[in-house]
Amino acid sequence: MSAYVDQFPAEARIVRAAFWSSFIALGVGGLLGLVQVLHRTDVVRFMSGADYYTVLTLHGVLLAITFTIFFLVGIFTWAITTSLDRGLENLRFTWLWYGLMSVGTVLAAIPILAGFVGSVDMSASVLFTFYAPMQAHPLFYLGLTIFVVGTWLAGADWFRTWLVWKREHPDERIPLPTFMVLTTMLFWYLSSLGVALSILLFLLPWSLGIWEQVNALLTRTLFWYFGHAVVYFWLMPAYMMWYLMLPKISGGKLFSDPLARVVFVLFLILSTPTGIHHQYLDPGIAEGFKFIVMTNTFFLLLPSLLTAFTVVASMEHGARQRGGTGYFGWLKALPWRDPIFTGMALAGLMFAAAGFSGMINAGMNINYLVHNTFWVVGHFHLTVGTAVALTFMAASYWFIPQVTGKRLWNKSVALWQVLLWFVGMTFMSNAMHRAGLLGVPRRTAEPQYAGFEFEAGLGSVAELDAQIALGGTLLFVSVVLFLANVVMTAVGDRIDDLPDNEYADTLSGADDAPLVLDNLKLWTAIAVVLVILAYTLPLLSIIDRGGVFGPGGGAFPMVAESLRLVVVAAVDAGVIG
Amino acid sequence: MRISRAGLLVVIAIMIPILVELRTVLAYFSVSISVMETVLIGALAVGALVLWAVFPSTDTNRPNGE
Repeated sequence: MSAYVDQFPAEARIVRAAFWSSFIALGVGGLLGLVQVLHRTDVVRFMSGADYYTVLTLHGVLLAITFTIFFLVGIFTWAITTSLDRGLENLRFTWLWYGLMSVGTVLAAIPILAGFVGSVDMSASVLFTFYAPMQAHPLFYLGLTIFVVGTWLAGADWFRTWLVWKREHPDERIPLPTFMVLTTMLFWYLSSLGVALSILLFLLPWSLGIWEQVNALLTRTLFWYFGHAVVYFWLMPAYMMWYLMLPKISGGKLFSDPLARVVFVLFLILSTPTGIHHQYLDPGIAEGFKFIVMTNTFFLLLPSLLTAFTVVASMEHGARQRGGTGYFGWLKALPWRDPIFTGMALAGLMFAAAGFSGMINAGMNINYLVHNTFWVVGHFHLTVGTAVALTFMAASYWFIPQVTGKRLWNKSVALWQVLLWFVGMTFMSNAMHRAGLLGVPRRTAEPQYAGFEFEAGLGSVAELDAQIALGGTLLFVSVVLFLANVVMTAVGDRIDDLPDNEYADTLSGADDAPLVLDNLKLWTAIAVVLVILAYTLPLLSIIDRGGVFGPGGGAFPMVAESLRLVVVAAVDAGVIG
Repeated sequence: MRISRAGLLVVIAIMIPILVELRTVLAYFSVSISVMETVLIGALAVGALVLWAVFPSTDTNRPNGE
């Protein structure tokens, strides 16, 4: 056994490339996050209110799509090759999907960035939630499509590698890391179908002027079909790290391989038919459909609670192996000095808080209290912004040495970095939640209104703003420390005494798991049936009421009109017939 | 030390959300404290924790997270 870069040098290159793409997005997105909190809270304002939405779009797309998905394709490549103990089948194909993802990112970023330049007639300030009637330049939709196709091909690459392995090992169980990758990708194929349909059938042709208008509620519903499910595309790799890395770093073994498989199967079948819970206030969807989706959403608590139990049990096992004793005394024996452990453990702790605020969001009646308020922003900064981002950053401290062959530059800086993220997010997210309860809106550049003040039951809005600005600043410092550490590690010297490329062994192994758990066709079929049950009637009802292409799809800004003028000018000039 | 320096840092970090929420919790019991009072209570709590942590431990065989 040796480091990953020695076992799979070619694959380590692709993982490195994916990580750097991810980290660039993190750096730029993090900086834009700081700009936003300072603008919103009126601490520093150096741009117009209109530019805020361009910043917000880039922040959302870079962090929610680029940072997370580039990182997860890196660790999925590691998981497949390590657990199957074989390289990918065709590295040209592997570089193809990485290239598509990169080209897609650049194409989507160009119109967003052009939004800052008034003289360029191109923009995509449509936010991460890019449904109609907000309209982006066609390049934005094209870029997103190419990016998603890249992820689909990545999944095909991993499935192909597994199928070849399976032919050679017909009687063996799917190794747990591979099982996690495959179930996640099956779920991703199913859930990203919504956004693919939305873009290819409606938004892209609409932005090109082929359709005059689209059904805004239909594109919204298709977006949220993907938009909530994508949360699990970020979370499942984080869960994978908690299952595979945390027990080993704690000094023990994974408590139960079968339970981990059950969790990933549950995510595969339950994660997609939930998106309408983002639309509780949409008048075009009947309350009954919303109630069904609420029930589906609450079922999703089950795999998260199972994970909490399994991961904490594994950590306790590790701590007791290290000499920990007592009901709670074992906590002291955990390796808190290790930033990989501490980062992931704190990410898990914050995810528990995110689960509680998520239950508020998911409840149909109480959701009305916080819908479209700053509360929701506080919530997803605990989920994707901490459970996922902090886990990925902490995991990087293990992965970067593994894929570069170099020692982590500074372990103490890494520990401070993860703690700073935890503290910064505590300040920022807490204040966002509380501001949401006062009715402070989300997606708003300057939520200060003449002749009106939000009434705080405790403290004041100014205190909450100060807390948000402080938290956002600490988070940015944390990002800078993280990037400095990984860059300094990458430019360091190669060493030979790196830890072996391993993941956690299990107390209860794959042999204890019922064979049916590995029946991916069965679970995919159930997932498809649940999606059909949850979405057929709402979609038919939306189309029945408004038609496939309307109403409510009048475009803003009128990109289509400008394109029409270009075509007319080209025809007049004789460039095209 | 009773716990490792890293362990101490982690405990201080975990105290922060508790301190941040303290005002809200106390308000439920009609106890209002200002931001400055919260900061003062936090400083005292962290100070007490550090004092406890640096006090020599009687049991040197116990793991402390290092």
